[in-house]
Amino acid sequence: MNKIESHCLMCTQPLKATISWKMLLTKQFSPTICERCAARFQRSHASTALYQYNEEMKDYLHQFKFLQDVALAKVFRQELYARFKKENAIILPIPMHPLKQRERTFSHTEELLKAAYIPYSQLLEKTTTETQSSKNREQRIDVAPLFRLKTGSRVEHKDYLLFDDIKTTGTTLQHAAVVLMQAGAKNVQHFTLIEG
Amino acid sequence: MKYKGWLLPPALRDFHEGRIWLKNHSPFSSADIDKAIKKNYFFIIEGIQMKPVIRCNRCHNTDSQLFTLFDCSKCQQRCLYCRHCIKMGRVSSCTQLMIWTGPKAIKNNKHSLKWTGQFTELQQQAANEILASVKVKRSHLINAVCGAGKTELLFPAVHDALKRGLRICMATPRTDVVLELYPRFQQVFPETVIHALYGGASKQDGYAQLIIATTHQLYRFDKAFDVMILDEADAFPYTFDETLQRAVNKAKREDAPVVYVTATPSQSLLKTYQQESYSFIPKRYHNHPLPVPRVRALWGYEKSFKRGIIPRRLKGWTEERLKRNEPFLMFFPTIALMNLAAPQIQLVNERILAVHAADPERKEKVLKLRNKEIPGLLTTTILERGITISNVQVAVIGAESSIFTADALIQIAGRVGRNVQFSDGEVLFFHHGITAEMDEARAKILFYNKKGFSR
Repeated sequence: MNKIESHCLMCTQPLKATISWKMLLTKQFSPTICERCAARFQRSHASTALYQYNEEMKDYLHQFKFLQDVALAKVFRQELYARFKKENAIILPIPMHPLKQRERTFSHTEELLKAAYIPYSQLLEKTTTETQSSKNREQRIDVAPLFRLKTGSRVEHKDYLLFDDIKTTGTTLQHAAVVLMQAGAKNVQHFTLIEG
Repeated sequence: MKYKGWLLPPALRDFHEGRIWLKNHSPFSSADIDKAIKKNYFFIIEGIQMKPVIRCNRCHNTDSQLFTLFDCSKCQQRCLYCRHCIKMGRVSSCTQLMIWTGPKAIKNNKHSLKWTGQFTELQQQAANEILASVKVKRSHLINAVCGAGKTELLFPAVHDALKRGLRICMATPRTDVVLELYPRFQQVFPETVIHALYGGASKQDGYAQLIIATTHQLYRFDKAFDVMILDEADAFPYTFDETLQRAVNKAKREDAPVVYVTATPSQSLLKTYQQESYSFIPKRYHNHPLPVPRVRALWGYEKSFKRGIIPRRLKGWTEERLKRNEPFLMFFPTIALMNLAAPQIQLVNERILAVHAADPERKEKVLKLRNKEIPGLLTTTILERGITISNVQVAVIGAESSIFTADALIQIAGRVGRNVQFSDGEVLFFHHGITAEMDEARAKILFYNKKGFSR
């Protein structure tokens, strides 16, 4: 996972190898995409997300999730690392249904965190194989509980931070937070890579 | 009594014959696929081969940089996948590829050649040479200037191969060329099933004995073709990408001949074929000389565009074309410069459009120029070859840029004067300093004209 990329992961142009003092002296990951591709992603103003959803993000998610290009998990590792390194809460990536995960062959939220070397735990389980993206707004908000606690997992009186790739209506995060709060969590926050 | 056995759907056979396909990506139901596998109609191979070198069995990529290792939830192991051909559906260690080994498709043996054109003496000679080469399965190189009627030269050889029940592939590195060739072949071979394959093409039914495809699509074939025709054999990305060259070799049968067709052959192609199976046509089909490019200084054009001022000479040229009602193509070295210049040129006439490789309306815009709905089109090098527009005039902005090699400039100049009625036209290299490549392009065109008209 730690190899240095010679070509941009998005557009396959050769990457120029630049080594700076900052890279040598602080914990910096080597870049995985070229400056031109990086510039197309639009930063979010919200404190709970890194990026805004745009055309480039659409392409990224398509290649990462639909075409199953796991290597793209590394694209945002520097930014995710910077956001999470001083986080005190326990980080919980939103889980996929086991069947869905076998179909995709990986969990995209976990891979994003793994690529940035961020420790996380998994207390929740997805109850349904339906996807949120296949539904409209009303259908999304009005659904049976999407998550339950994993058997044997103990939600202590602690802070939790939910992590997902994208937030659109917020239903997914809402459902996960409710389950945790009811089980006795002290506080549940959320953070996403992209806000919809 | 109801029949309880399983009958092979002909469509499944027609589709899979010659193809190498991901098991879980077949357009047919998994029940049918499983039945066919049980009947041994498919040969199954692993997606990624580990020995002697790591290799993707679909695209034959062996570049270790392009393989990624990850924890696979499907097979619960560390899995490798190939990033090189990922856009066609991911191939990983735990996926399987299927190659059809079942019954052969039933071929339609009626093939008529509906072409009423006349060959010139030179064309006839070349067409005969190609036919002779294909008949004895010998690879052949056709070197003919832009507008010599290269496609027509192939008709007799293709017709002969079709009649003998052979499967033929016409491959080219450019999608635009596929889109241009497909209707022409359909017209000429009205009784033949022809498929056009390129990224984003819709699924076409039946068994195609003639396939027109981008070289990329050849990753999806395995020992399928008895004759391989490689049009514009020197175009990007074919010359750059070694795996594409390997794809051509794996998509055809081992003993199948390759016919290389180009206006600008590389030294190595010339060296290999010049001595024996080589056809050379230095003259256009309409017997008029090639338009010779003129060079014109456009000092500091980049600065000028950045300041938002269209260089005077360029403005003059554009206005002249508009006044004379001549369609024109303007080639730019980069998308960035084109986007910078486009709004300024559109001030001259707002109907002028710009097009580049990733443009979703690329097809429509070229069509608009051909139908005279727009006066001109700004473009990157994507339109340098394969396209024919009647009476088109051409300007190259920044002809000194490294992307404009001599070959590229010859191809660009070759867009002009292809029609009998408009056999002459203007090719102008606007530059900020003359390069050796520009001189070479001019010298080669002059050489072809001399060769073609010396007798």
